[in-house]
Amino acid sequence: MRLLTLLTTALLSAATGALAAKKTSSERFQLYHSKALSTSPVKLSEASYRELTATPRDYSVAVLLTAMDARYGCQLCREFQPEWELLARSWTGGDRKGESRVVFGTLDFGDGRDVFMSLGLQTAPVLFFFPPTTGPHATASPEPVRYDFTGGAQAAEVVHSWVARYLPDRPHPPIKRPINWMRWISTFVILSGGLTFSYVAWPYVLPVIQSRTVWAAITLISILLFTSGHMFNHIRNVPYVAGDGRGGISYFANGFQNQYGLETQIVAAMYGILALSSISLAIKVPRMTDPRNQGIAFLAWFGILFVVYSLLLSIFRGKNPGYTFSLPPFM
Amino acid sequence: MSADPLHALASAGKGESTRGLLRVIILALIAGASIASRLFSVIRFESIIHEFDPWFNFRATKYLVANGFYNFWDWFDDRTWHPLGRVTGGTLYPGLMVTSGAIYHALRTLTIPVDIRNICVLLAPAFSGLTAIAAYLLTNEMTPSSSAGLLAALFMGIAPGYISRSVAGSYDNEAIAIFLLVFTFYLWIKALKQGSMLWGALCALFYGYMVASWGGYAFITCLLPLHSFVLICMGRYSTRLYVAYTTWYALGTLASMQIPFVGFLPVKTSEHMPALGIFGFLQLLAFLDYVRSAIPSRQFQTFLWLFAGGTFGIGLLGLVIATSAGVIAPWSGRFYSLWDTGYAKIHIPIIASVSEHQPTAWPAFFFDLNMLIWLFPVGVYLCFQQLADEHVFIVVYALFGSYFAGVMVRLMLTLTPVVCVAAAIAVSTLLDTYLSTKSPKPEESQAAEAAEGKKGKSGLKSTSKPVVGIYSIWGRSMMVSALAVYLLLFVLHCTWVTSNAYSSPSVVLASRLPDGSQHIIDDYREAYQWLRQNTREDAKIMSWWDYGYQIGGMADRPTLVDNNTWNNTHIATVGKAMSSSEEVSYPIMRQHEVDYVLVVFGGLLGYSGDDINKFLWMVRIAEGIWPDEVSERSFFTPRGEYRVDGEATETMKNSLMYKMSYYNYNTLFPPGKAVDRVRGVHLPDVGPTLSTMEEAFTSENWIIRIYKVKDLDNLGRDHMSAAAFDRGQKKKKATKKRGPRLLRVE
Repeated sequence: MRLLTLLTTALLSAATGALAAKKTSSERFQLYHSKALSTSPVKLSEASYRELTATPRDYSVAVLLTAMDARYGCQLCREFQPEWELLARSWTGGDRKGESRVVFGTLDFGDGRDVFMSLGLQTAPVLFFFPPTTGPHATASPEPVRYDFTGGAQAAEVVHSWVARYLPDRPHPPIKRPINWMRWISTFVILSGGLTFSYVAWPYVLPVIQSRTVWAAITLISILLFTSGHMFNHIRNVPYVAGDGRGGISYFANGFQNQYGLETQIVAAMYGILALSSISLAIKVPRMTDPRNQGIAFLAWFGILFVVYSLLLSIFRGKNPGYTFSLPPFM
Repeated sequence: MSADPLHALASAGKGESTRGLLRVIILALIAGASIASRLFSVIRFESIIHEFDPWFNFRATKYLVANGFYNFWDWFDDRTWHPLGRVTGGTLYPGLMVTSGAIYHALRTLTIPVDIRNICVLLAPAFSGLTAIAAYLLTNEMTPSSSAGLLAALFMGIAPGYISRSVAGSYDNEAIAIFLLVFTFYLWIKALKQGSMLWGALCALFYGYMVASWGGYAFITCLLPLHSFVLICMGRYSTRLYVAYTTWYALGTLASMQIPFVGFLPVKTSEHMPALGIFGFLQLLAFLDYVRSAIPSRQFQTFLWLFAGGTFGIGLLGLVIATSAGVIAPWSGRFYSLWDTGYAKIHIPIIASVSEHQPTAWPAFFFDLNMLIWLFPVGVYLCFQQLADEHVFIVVYALFGSYFAGVMVRLMLTLTPVVCVAAAIAVSTLLDTYLSTKSPKPEESQAAEAAEGKKGKSGLKSTSKPVVGIYSIWGRSMMVSALAVYLLLFVLHCTWVTSNAYSSPSVVLASRLPDGSQHIIDDYREAYQWLRQNTREDAKIMSWWDYGYQIGGMADRPTLVDNNTWNNTHIATVGKAMSSSEEVSYPIMRQHEVDYVLVVFGGLLGYSGDDINKFLWMVRIAEGIWPDEVSERSFFTPRGEYRVDGEATETMKNSLMYKMSYYNYNTLFPPGKAVDRVRGVHLPDVGPTLSTMEEAFTSENWIIRIYKVKDLDNLGRDHMSAAAFDRGQKKKKATKKRGPRLLRVE
């Protein structure tokens, strides 16, 4: 009995192997293309990966080797996956007859551990493009081309142009991003809700819009944000804080051209305090009628101004070691 | 004015004329100080043109002086962008050259023989004196206190944010453009306040001059419409605004279209659309204003709705059609990179590679403006107190300017004037309050408050109460002395920054010897002089575009690419030649008739601005055009490091740039000790070999290395095998390769 099972399994596997080996290149393409028509990219296993990328082939294969399982914590894989699926879906959908002769496939690490091993891959995701080895578009080398993920997860359009570059003289179906109905509906709802609300609340909103104090506050806050390097954070995606290498946190980045997110907030707060105390000294204090209160307020604001400016100078000295000027108390 | 306590003190018993004279003297001194503080580089080094772009401006000015205005206007320059050439007369802003040309001829007429170089070197300081005066005038329009104007002039004169682009020798468009910017704003405010066509026309005139001088004119083109738009939204439409804006727009646009480089852009590109839109909008408003006065109000309501809806619809339709038909040019890349801050990084490496286009970190703001940076919001807040039309301008300018300064380091320049004006308003308010000699009486002030309690209806809550004054004499003296200390510190800071950061010509480098004495490193001029004396007049020099203007200006040799980066493909071609192996580069260089290749190498001296550090940008720009042939990834090791030592990737080691930089470098050191002082790494014992070019010149400190591209081999061999043969290696491969070409062998 046991022997029989063994025998049948052996026979069966031999048969499938022989079958796979026997299949011609165009048959394989037909098979996988029809699979792709239902779900593209085709979800591959180890065996189907080997079969699909076997030589000779008269078609091209784009395979994404990824690790989607949460265990591997591959952030890039998860970010790229929807873009990849979008690309594969819109390409196959736009080329149902298979004129471009490309198959898009995905091989997860969980399904094809050995493939990763044999290719010596340490990282994921990896995107390979296998050019055809026979037929009119055959290239000289059967070696796959590897996509460069150093720029982070790219949009489908970028990868599309990368793939299209290796497929000259063949149709390149464009990417069709599905309409995000939820987003449209929610935008519409929010917009109409906002309009209704502002119509109802107009008598209450109008004084706020016309209030000079509100506009002054908005203006000053934006100026403080811009002059404390907020746009730098936005453009460069700097970290909020960073470790100092000894287990602590360093709040201020080294070097004149660097900064952390928290650092700019500290600086903005100091600018704000300095500006506020100057405004108080210039406007509030001279308008106080009681001499004693005025004296106290003056001393308080004056002291704050003095100390914070000194602190600002000392922080700036930390950023720029050659800087020589300082004020007490932070000398 | 007479109520002003400061003036009561300053001119007790004296007349208006004395104060006027004092003001003129102070202004003259400020202008003098602002000129003097920009002369560090002339005193330390010599009267020399700085950096890169100024060299082109200098060259163009010499051409203008030598060949006259009309030839300059039609100038086709075949000594740059070889083999394409450049229609220089039509692709530059001629204001700067024409200004110095005019000064030159004026001085010659007065029989003062001055070298054109000295005019060019000293133009920027001279104009900064004028900028200080323009800042004085602008501030005087904002506040009745004339001490604010003088403070603004002082700030403007010595603020490092402006000095950075206007030291002696920095002969660049910005040198005169900032003066024109501030003065145009002054004229605009004047025109707006008076509703005067004369001032509006003057504003347009200076706007035209500004357009002729600097690409940053778009800042004015956007700011004035924005100001008008905000005023309209605030319900402050007036005939004054109509007259001022319409005069400025009509005349200013006509003036700007006279510049060949600008041409029809003002009616085509999107940067100029706001100005046109507001122009049309104002016409509509004026028309409505007229209709309202002519027909009953009920019919007017219906008319208004129909009219507004119809106009909006037609306008939108027209815009869509014009854009899709291609009549209106799409938004240009530089403009995109200002709004969508990620755009440049992805799409335009050539913009991302320029350090001027980088965003600004906070230390740069403090470095360039010192205490003005926190006085700036105070001044803006004070503008909200009265919020007349001109104060709205300051507020709008402050917001707009600080956004752009945050996005691009270079635009710190356009922010500086408004910072100076706002900070001067703040400081003068403080000084006026605390410099008063008389103490108020508590009873009187309380009575005054009670009297004025109902009346105060100003916009800001904090200013609803009347001003009392400061009671204590110690408080006043403390505040005044603290302000004096801050101001003094500001002056020290500005001088220190100017002296240390902004006064280096960067053509000549200065270093300190161990004994503290100054040592001048003059490799650039040494190399350019070598080129001038030892190469043919028309020898084509290939280098990275940074050095194109200098080669054209100092060595007077044709270049392939230069700092006018108008042709990205051509730059990418040079980038490809630099980043590919010799086999690939040699045909490219032959096709472009390159005779010499110039690279900048700082490894010996530790000069970090060299070509190896810029190399990745060359690769990126080349990859943008030839993604199949150049790949940035292959210049990084598998661990993602950019290395130049023994661990460097093969692509890196084979690239022309690497070979030219390190060729023969290890012979300077004992075996195994070769070290690159910029990257701080040890280099392999065996240096790279070059077969298609030979070393022609290396400057004293190895900063500039020049290679001659070899001519075709006399025996028809390729250069690799010829070099191998010279080294005494027998190449089996070579003969094998030449197997099929049997027919040619005798």
